[in-house]
Amino acid sequence: MSTQKLNDPRADELLAIRCQLGERAAFAELIGRWHEPLWRYLRRLANSDQAADDLVQDTWVRVLRGIAGLRDAARIRPWLFGIARRIAMDRLRMHYARPAADEGALEELASPEIDAELEADLAVLESRLATLPVRERETLALFYLRELSLEQIATLLDIPAGTVKSRLFRARQLLRHEFETKGAI
Amino acid sequence: MKPEARSMQKIQGLAGAELSLKARLGYVGLLLVSAALTTVVVALWLTELSLPVRAQLAFGAMSVIGTCWMALAVWALGARRPLFARDRVVAGRMAVTFSAVFAAGCVAATIVSGGAASYGALATSVAMLTTAIATLASARRRFAELVARRQELEAQLRA
Repeated sequence: MSTQKLNDPRADELLAIRCQLGERAAFAELIGRWHEPLWRYLRRLANSDQAADDLVQDTWVRVLRGIAGLRDAARIRPWLFGIARRIAMDRLRMHYARPAADEGALEELASPEIDAELEADLAVLESRLATLPVRERETLALFYLRELSLEQIATLLDIPAGTVKSRLFRARQLLRHEFETKGAI
Repeated sequence: MKPEARSMQKIQGLAGAELSLKARLGYVGLLLVSAALTTVVVALWLTELSLPVRAQLAFGAMSVIGTCWMALAVWALGARRPLFARDRVVAGRMAVTFSAVFAAGCVAATIVSGGAASYGALATSVAMLTTAIATLASARRRFAELVARRQELEAQLRA
């Protein structure tokens, strides 16, 4: 399936319905489609690979047990990220044992619908990034996806900050060209 | 291998165990058998008043055990191994077949013995059969709705 079709909410609804029908192959597709975005989302929240592994496993168990009861299959994206977020928030609450007054702040950390859209967009963006040369791709990913500063990237890659800037400039041009030829997200 | 890819392999393995059809239908079978046996035991317990106290206690204990098995099956099907639309249709057919056989046995027992216990069991078996037919009809309706929506989406995505 093309990236555009994968990003079509109807494709997600179709996959959810096939799961609700009980097609075992559809579950493998659902996991293949959403595991990495969920893992990356949880990785960002938990800040460790090990914690993300545990959280994503709990998320999938709950998804597999709950998808039969999902009322509106069209809402599969926010539903998936909502489950992941609740599990991560529960784990954070247990970990930090914060007083009740802080719970509001935790709730505001993320909204499942925004997260689902963001992760879908990031998935497309990352697929486009994959077409860039290695050095430009790495610099762009560190700057925009990992949110490192120019100086941090320069230190990390052991190159002058000016080279980081020129790689970013070239990477943006290549990416713009990629979106112009293949269409925006 | 990237950590998310390694984690995905683990999840695919976990899904295989979570989605086991055998386990789901096993719980449906447990529910049906425990419901039928509990019905017979309760019917005997409540109607055979001349039984010695030890036998009455034994019937009471068996009724509690049967009810616990039913509760376990209901809990497992609700929380741990929920049935998907296609599984619900299969489970509905199982329930209708099993309840019909059980009801036929109760009819035979009523004709042969005509005791109060057989009437109690017969009434319960008819209730079980009615519930099974209603469950199967509801499962078929839901299955048909999902199949229709699936076909609609497939047509839209092909266009």
